Amino acid sequence: MSDVLRGNFTPKRTVDVTEEAASLETRFEQEAMKRLGGSIAFVSKHKVVWGEENESSPSEPTPESVTITKK
Amino acid sequence: MKEGPGELGQKLVANMPALTQARIGELGYQNALRNQPLLGRGKSLRALRGQFSDKGDHCIVVGAGPSLHRRRVAERLRELRYQGTLIATESAMSYCLRNQLIPDLVVSLDPHAKRIVRWFGDPKLVPEDIAKDDYFSRQDMDPAFADELRSNLQMIELLNQHGKKMRIALATSASEAVVDRVIETGMEIFWWNPMYDDPNAPDSVTAKLQALNRMPCMNAGGNVGSACWMMADAVLGKKHVALTGIDFSYYGDTPYRSTQYYRDAVDLVGEEALDSIFMRVFNPHLEAWFYTDPAYMWYRNCFMEMVGDASCKTYNCTEGGILFGDNITFLPLDKYVQGTRS
Repeated sequence: MSDVLRGNFTPKRTVDVTEEAASLETRFEQEAMKRLGGSIAFVSKHKVVWGEENESSPSEPTPESVTITKK
Repeated sequence: MKEGPGELGQKLVANMPALTQARIGELGYQNALRNQPLLGRGKSLRALRGQFSDKGDHCIVVGAGPSLHRRRVAERLRELRYQGTLIATESAMSYCLRNQLIPDLVVSLDPHAKRIVRWFGDPKLVPEDIAKDDYFSRQDMDPAFADELRSNLQMIELLNQHGKKMRIALATSASEAVVDRVIETGMEIFWWNPMYDDPNAPDSVTAKLQALNRMPCMNAGGNVGSACWMMADAVLGKKHVALTGIDFSYYGDTPYRSTQYYRDAVDLVGEEALDSIFMRVFNPHLEAWFYTDPAYMWYRNCFMEMVGDASCKTYNCTEGGILFGDNITFLPLDKYVQGTRS
């Protein structure tokens, strides 16, 4: 992209571009990012993914369970 | 531009998943990796399925909201001689034990390195820790925590005494301090992974973690109170699940200073603009106003979504707060307990 838009002149003065002051919401989000939130983020339509059964718990999966293929 | 009452709070509710993921997603996953060698100290959550069936179809979840004390939940449960299953958040465990209630199951989820272990009694707590963090002394959760050193010592003693009688559904995201303390107290551990993302999505972290540790993954609903309810519904298979201490809000007379994100909120918008963050909700069942912060409002919204897919019937016996609506029966605790006998 920079090759396409490369200028064909050199400005006499350096142009300083100041970013627009962050809005209250943006600043809040940035700060809040560090401290707000719950205990875990994802909320799913699934209830429990039981996964593979093992010897210690031989019971059958419930209808709502989804088995994940081992990667 | 100045935000109106609750306006900024409403905007932030939509950002809660991203905020939470940024703050603790990686921490929870790293804790799970660190806990891998300790999984043998407990069982899989699978072993809890169908447990407590001898106690019938009813279950009461005890969360640590402010109504727990105002509505004298433990005292009333004892008076009513409730015989069904009792599940408590780790944050409500202290309240239960101090009031001679031993939960059948405790649930712990949050990966925070220092705070969560306090609910178990932190053997390493020193006054400097308290000076650094007023999270417990300031909040309108458990008044007993106002004297933090004393309550910590009391909790250490209580859990040392009762831990061996209790079971805990411990998320693999739990911190080293929590896991060490749980093992020390002799609580019977049942491990589970909280869902970090859609387990069916490509490159799912949840699926990757399950492939690694083979533990069941459960939708935690964003917080430990909702995770307790999910345990009752999807793991224990209870048909009638009542909530107590699940306020997701503060009483109208609670000063902002006593809310969980007070300091963060003041830092960001100043004391004079706090009204823009907190949202006021009228509870028509109680004809009373409550107010809430973005995190609690997000919990409430998540719960309302989950309860629509529940197998159990859900009763909110909190007698306070903002959790009401479709698929939730708002009911006094006494009536629910009386119904368990019929």
